[in-house]
Amino acid sequence: MLIKVQNLSYKFNDFTALENVSFEIAKGEIVAIIGPNGSGKTTLIKNIIGVLEPTEGSVMIDGKKPKEIRHKIGYVPQKFEFDKTIPISVHEFMSLEKCGKKGHDEKNIIEALREVGLEDVEEKQLGSLSGGQFQRVMIARALLHEKEILIFDEPSTGIDIAGEKTIYDLIKKINEERGTTCLIVSHELNIVNKYTKKVICINKEMVCFGAPEIVITKETLEKLYGSDTGLFHAHDHHIS
Amino acid sequence: MIRALVSGIFVSILLGWLGTFVVTRKMSFIGDGIAHASLSGIALAILLGWAPIPTAVVLASIIAIIIYFLEKKTNISSDMAIAIMLTTGMAIGIILLSFYQGYQPELMSYLFGNILAINSYDMFSILIIGFFVLLILFIFYRKILFSTFDPIGAYLAGINIWIFDLLLYVSTAVVIILSIKLVGVILVSSLLVTPSAIAKMFVRSFKAFTWLTVLFSVLIISCGLILSYYLDLPSGATIILTGTGLFILAFLFSLVLKHKSMKTLKH
Repeated sequence: MLIKVQNLSYKFNDFTALENVSFEIAKGEIVAIIGPNGSGKTTLIKNIIGVLEPTEGSVMIDGKKPKEIRHKIGYVPQKFEFDKTIPISVHEFMSLEKCGKKGHDEKNIIEALREVGLEDVEEKQLGSLSGGQFQRVMIARALLHEKEILIFDEPSTGIDIAGEKTIYDLIKKINEERGTTCLIVSHELNIVNKYTKKVICINKEMVCFGAPEIVITKETLEKLYGSDTGLFHAHDHHIS
Repeated sequence: MIRALVSGIFVSILLGWLGTFVVTRKMSFIGDGIAHASLSGIALAILLGWAPIPTAVVLASIIAIIIYFLEKKTNISSDMAIAIMLTTGMAIGIILLSFYQGYQPELMSYLFGNILAINSYDMFSILIIGFFVLLILFIFYRKILFSTFDPIGAYLAGINIWIFDLLLYVSTAVVIILSIKLVGVILVSSLLVTPSAIAKMFVRSFKAFTWLTVLFSVLIISCGLILSYYLDLPSGATIILTGTGLFILAFLFSLVLKHKSMKTLKH
């Protein structure tokens, strides 16, 4: 599915969250969004999924407004806000989307969970899962409902290094095997380099867009994070 | 007594079911807000000689809609919106009642609950209005549940979540008003929370949580009403204390269960 963002600006009251952002993502691409805190990454995602409407410009997915095509989008949030003491099983959580019809086939749910490396968790309480397991349940749910676009908002927040690798390997596998378009908000430049083909750099406005090895330069990082972060050396060192 | 028991069992099913959503959304305070604010509707009905329950149902629904819009369309938080409506409704009710000359025994029934005050008209009002709420819960259960647990996921699944949020708010307001004569304005909100709090200790799925909450809700209201009748105690307070007693028993029982399972794990 082609995601086309054209001259997108989003303002509330006198505050400008995003200004004149444009890019295109082709079907099956895996793209990262990077930028400092408060740079408008989440606002951009909310515009792409249609929760927010652009003040100026447009977002089109396969020529349609996001709201019209939203059932094809899966979203894995950075933090899922819910009371962990509320008893809901993984199976029930994964079946929520089947509204008004019979629940999902037991076999499909088990298969989707197995695909993300989780076994024997369907009867477990959602609140008892670790952060990494929970993110994988969210991904399994997106697979179950055959979403064509997957959006991840900092999917490795609060997860250890091994768990982080599992999540990103999984995203790459889904992208390669299913051709799912994946959009990942991340702070980690190593991850961006290793797993994505393109990167969108924003700091309220578009800083750059392209292949990470080309567009992530010292100048780009200075524009994003300021002049004295030392990020480029660390980033450079890791790549070599 | 029979009228009170029939009405009580019916509203307890609704209170229990709605309570699972209210507790999951962490909006337990809404019951208090709507019940207290509805005093203005009851006072208006008493002053003008109208039927108090239907008047309060209409007013409580309007209050619930205002709370919803204050929460969602302004930067006022949920507890602030509820607090504003609670105090405003109470204040209007007190002003209206100041125009009434003399003692008003019916008002005391609405404030503290009175099973003897439930007449046939009240019972049928509760059954008919409650039936429509039950129907809404049956038809839209999954959509309300999805919107409750994962609003963004529900939106992306194509659900207009605001419709189901609003339905939940209005249904909760209506059921609170239907329970007022049994439990009273001051104590009714506890019945939205206590059965869920007890059920949560023993279950692992939302389905079991809902069934057990409804069961505890029916048990609390039925036992409370029977105790209140035979011990000649105020119904509202007796029902609430029955709930609290059950909560304490359940808590102790859950501790014993936890201790036993720990012992089994050690062995």
